Amino acid sequence: MENSSKEEYKIQSFDLETQKLLKTALKDPGSVDLEKVSNVIVDQSLKDQNFSREAGRICYTIVQAEAKQTNGNVFRRNLLNRLQQEFKAREETRKRSTQEWVCLVSFICNIFDYLKVNNMPMMALVHPVYDCLFRLAQSDALQNEEEVDCLVLQLHRIGDQLEKMNMQLMDELFNLLRDGFLLQEDLSSMGRLLLLEILEFRAGGWTLSETAQKYYYSEVTD
Amino acid sequence: MSTDQKYIYENDCNSDENRNKGSSRWSQCRKRGADGSLRKSQAVEELGKCSQSTHRPESFTTPESEGPVSRVKNWGDEVEAEEMRSNVRRDTHRYRRRILEADFPQRDRKISSGSSDSRDSRDSKESPAKGDMESDEATLIRRQKQINYGKNTLAYDRYIKEVPKHMRQPGVHPKTPNKFKKYSRRSWDQQIKLWRVRLHTWDPPAEEGCDVQQIEEINLGEIMDFEFDVEYSGDTEYLCPTSSGASLALAEDSFTGTSKKMMKIEDTEMS
Repeated sequence: MENSSKEEYKIQSFDLETQKLLKTALKDPGSVDLEKVSNVIVDQSLKDQNFSREAGRICYTIVQAEAKQTNGNVFRRNLLNRLQQEFKAREETRKRSTQEWVCLVSFICNIFDYLKVNNMPMMALVHPVYDCLFRLAQSDALQNEEEVDCLVLQLHRIGDQLEKMNMQLMDELFNLLRDGFLLQEDLSSMGRLLLLEILEFRAGGWTLSETAQKYYYSEVTD
Repeated sequence: MSTDQKYIYENDCNSDENRNKGSSRWSQCRKRGADGSLRKSQAVEELGKCSQSTHRPESFTTPESEGPVSRVKNWGDEVEAEEMRSNVRRDTHRYRRRILEADFPQRDRKISSGSSDSRDSRDSKESPAKGDMESDEATLIRRQKQINYGKNTLAYDRYIKEVPKHMRQPGVHPKTPNKFKKYSRRSWDQQIKLWRVRLHTWDPPAEEGCDVQQIEEINLGEIMDFEFDVEYSGDTEYLCPTSSGASLALAEDSFTGTSKKMMKIEDTEMS
């Protein structure tokens, strides 16, 4: 039981004391300092790439647990406001560390994916998420495989939801991607491949045809 | 940067202002399209600036301010406002369905004023057409907030545990005002006040004398019940509402901080 919840929420990378704190937050949110918990989670997401892609899950569970136990919103509110701060500072973060920047984007998108409000995505996050993706679609970012990789990951995961929330912005984003793919000369071949795949992915209705799947994802034989 | 949006602030509610002191203060902001149709209403940060749904840069400078003013509200507030809106919409759909159901097949149902049926047959009598139902979203949201303050109390918790809904006797047991009925502002606010007062009957045990005084007290609009619990834990000077005077924090916001139900948990841990 112990280890499976570690696995489920991917909290192995935290030190033991923090893991304990998180586990308590999941079971008995009223008894812990939820502002601290939210900070701990955000801090780790900015450092740990694996966690940044999965942290949404544990956040969702804590939000539900708090709502059920105390009818409160402390955790969610603190999480979102902290996230907003990080979002505001994203350009500096990007300059300072590409790793941190892509972690931030992954985390925001993961939160968008998991933290729903009455089963609807949080409208407040739609523009921020698009802002991040648009930044990743700029030519300086497209040169950088790490950033392209982040971009396509997010689009795979939440592209369809984002499109539903705002079709026009998604169209604009993909125009940039198409332009980048066709016109930008300094892309790595991996970068180009990733872009081509995501272009096909969306064109196919956010899924890959079988042949495309084979093309992009099967082992290359000699 | 064109700021051609028109914002209509809800500033006609005294009790809201009194209640929302402190950093969590926020008021509803309603945007209307040119044709008068309602757009999504949003929470407003303390500066009272509204942002909007199209893609715009985050900051701008207004002539009267000293420098760039952030147009972005805080996400915590925004999401809470979203949640409130979507809850109210869901309630509205449910209520409309209920009314329609009540209207149609049940012609031969006896409509008695003594009925405590949760469907409230009087609803169908009083609001036969959807047009008689309160449907203004901002009003519904405001009313829901007031209801939430009342429901988020230990007294309410104890009340619903003690008296199941089907066992409620009208006149004896307080009933939550129905936000979908048409009432004037004063009438609604008064109903809420009376409802809150009546709920005090179920406050957690206190010194004898004070219970009576609580019920007689009229001006209990903004009382936070958990204050009483805090007082009770060891303090012999159990204070009744008015004598506490300024110590009664009026920042009733059911959305921030640990709610009153937290005190219940602490309570059980102590005993």
